[in-house]
Amino acid sequence: MKKKLACLVGASLACGAATAVAASAGDSGISLSGFLTAGATYADQKVLSTTNAVSQDGNIENTVGFTNDSRIGIQLSAKVNREVSVTGQLLARGSEDGFNMKADWAFVSYRAADPLTIRGGKLKLTTFLVSDYIEVGYAYPWIRPPQEVYYANPISTLSGADALVRFNFGDYTLLFQPYYGVSRGEQALVPQEVIGAIPQITFTPPATLTASPSPAGTVAYTDFTADSLTGVNLSFGSDVFTVRAGYLQTLVSASAFGVSQEKATFTSVGGTLDWKGLVLYTEYFQREIEGLANMAFPNQKGAYATIGYRFGKFLPHITYATLDDNDNPTTLFGQPLKQTSATLGLRYELGTGAALKIEAQQVKPEAANTGGPARGLLIANPATGPELSDNVMIYSLAVDVVF
Amino acid sequence: MKKHKFLAVVAATVLSLGTSIAAQAALAIVAHPSNSVSGIRADDAQRIFLGKSGEFANGRRAVPVDQTPGSASRTKFMKSVIQKSEDELKGYWSKLMFSGKGQPPREIGDDAAVKAWVASNPEAIGYIDGKFVDGSVKVLFIIP
Repeated sequence: MKKKLACLVGASLACGAATAVAASAGDSGISLSGFLTAGATYADQKVLSTTNAVSQDGNIENTVGFTNDSRIGIQLSAKVNREVSVTGQLLARGSEDGFNMKADWAFVSYRAADPLTIRGGKLKLTTFLVSDYIEVGYAYPWIRPPQEVYYANPISTLSGADALVRFNFGDYTLLFQPYYGVSRGEQALVPQEVIGAIPQITFTPPATLTASPSPAGTVAYTDFTADSLTGVNLSFGSDVFTVRAGYLQTLVSASAFGVSQEKATFTSVGGTLDWKGLVLYTEYFQREIEGLANMAFPNQKGAYATIGYRFGKFLPHITYATLDDNDNPTTLFGQPLKQTSATLGLRYELGTGAALKIEAQQVKPEAANTGGPARGLLIANPATGPELSDNVMIYSLAVDVVF
Repeated sequence: MKKHKFLAVVAATVLSLGTSIAAQAALAIVAHPSNSVSGIRADDAQRIFLGKSGEFANGRRAVPVDQTPGSASRTKFMKSVIQKSEDELKGYWSKLMFSGKGQPPREIGDDAAVKAWVASNPEAIGYIDGKFVDGSVKVLFIIP
């Protein structure tokens, strides 16, 4: 399947290159574009004596690493006729064993009328302000969007359909975007606290976590599916500002956990402003997940605010972010995570289409109100680690390019 | 013989450079001569070039074409109609393009290339230096 896709894309790329020549002569509607981020990370201390890993997924370490943010994407768009176009995006992401390639999305778009476009296929799920283009670092100020909010929805794509309904009021545009579909082939990080318990889980709560937990710092992913994924994204704005709100609900299944068709809901609001050099971003989310699925995805809420100011080619910015428990029922297994972080960043424009970014982030994990580990989004609590500190500094550097 | 030809070309280039400096003041937003639309406002042109609207006032599909970055006409058009710097425009299109919500106008080349394109595409809208205007295109708006 993967090979087939690669061949298909290979052929399309070759065909794109051929038509690029034709395009300059003045016909054909095929366009090829791409984006790239090359990034390095470093965390200033070990939080577990047994590993260099510092972030809970192990990608940010107490050594200089290049896997967390590095990625490259290629997008191909072709106009089939006046109303129909097709778009595909291939994404390769840095990982421990080289680069992993996947078709991030591929859809056909039908412009039914000037204000209405219908899209079908594999689409990016619009959960937050920048989730549409989350892989395109060039399009936002940070090296990575605040994780206290953006980590919260592991579903990044939707196989199904959406509608883009646009209403223009002078300089303002209202976008109404309902969608429906399923999510397949995605993986979610399982909280290390519940991994050892998996074989002992029975299908009816309240089973107890009697198993001996796996070693602290275990990183494991589970396959999951999301069915009847139904949601709406509403946004209003101009070139200067955007405010948005979104709601989605879905039925989650993860066979490794005996989780079958558990209801999950997701609510988010946010806004952004880019006015006379002033740059603002702020967002809030809450998620509620029922039944056994709550174990790996407990109820959480989170928020962040970013303020920056553009001085010519420089954009210094500061972000405060918080992740918290969201009235998690104690009868469920949920292991809510809690942390706050403050980030100081600088973006520098390297000419049109490229940017250099540096960031320093102080992460402070805490224990959630209804129990759960005191490690936040880290792999362990630094207060119990080799250096007995209540916070960790993460330094990052990245270059973002679009082409 | 060859040398003479070369000199003639140089002379013509110098001459046309001279007139282009003289006439550079005006930029024309142009469409196909068959388009019945009588004109366009700068903010409507901006909406079409930013992908927010895909139609002329008369309901005909509007397909914008840009000149390539660096051309004098493009610089002027960015400043007076699009009102964004090239950096800002790149950021704007990155968001739309990579979220599958829109594609930037095709970049055709210079004034002559855009004129030829618009003259042969009934849905096209473009901008060219005023001195390139002739009967093959219809002027919708003049930016002095």
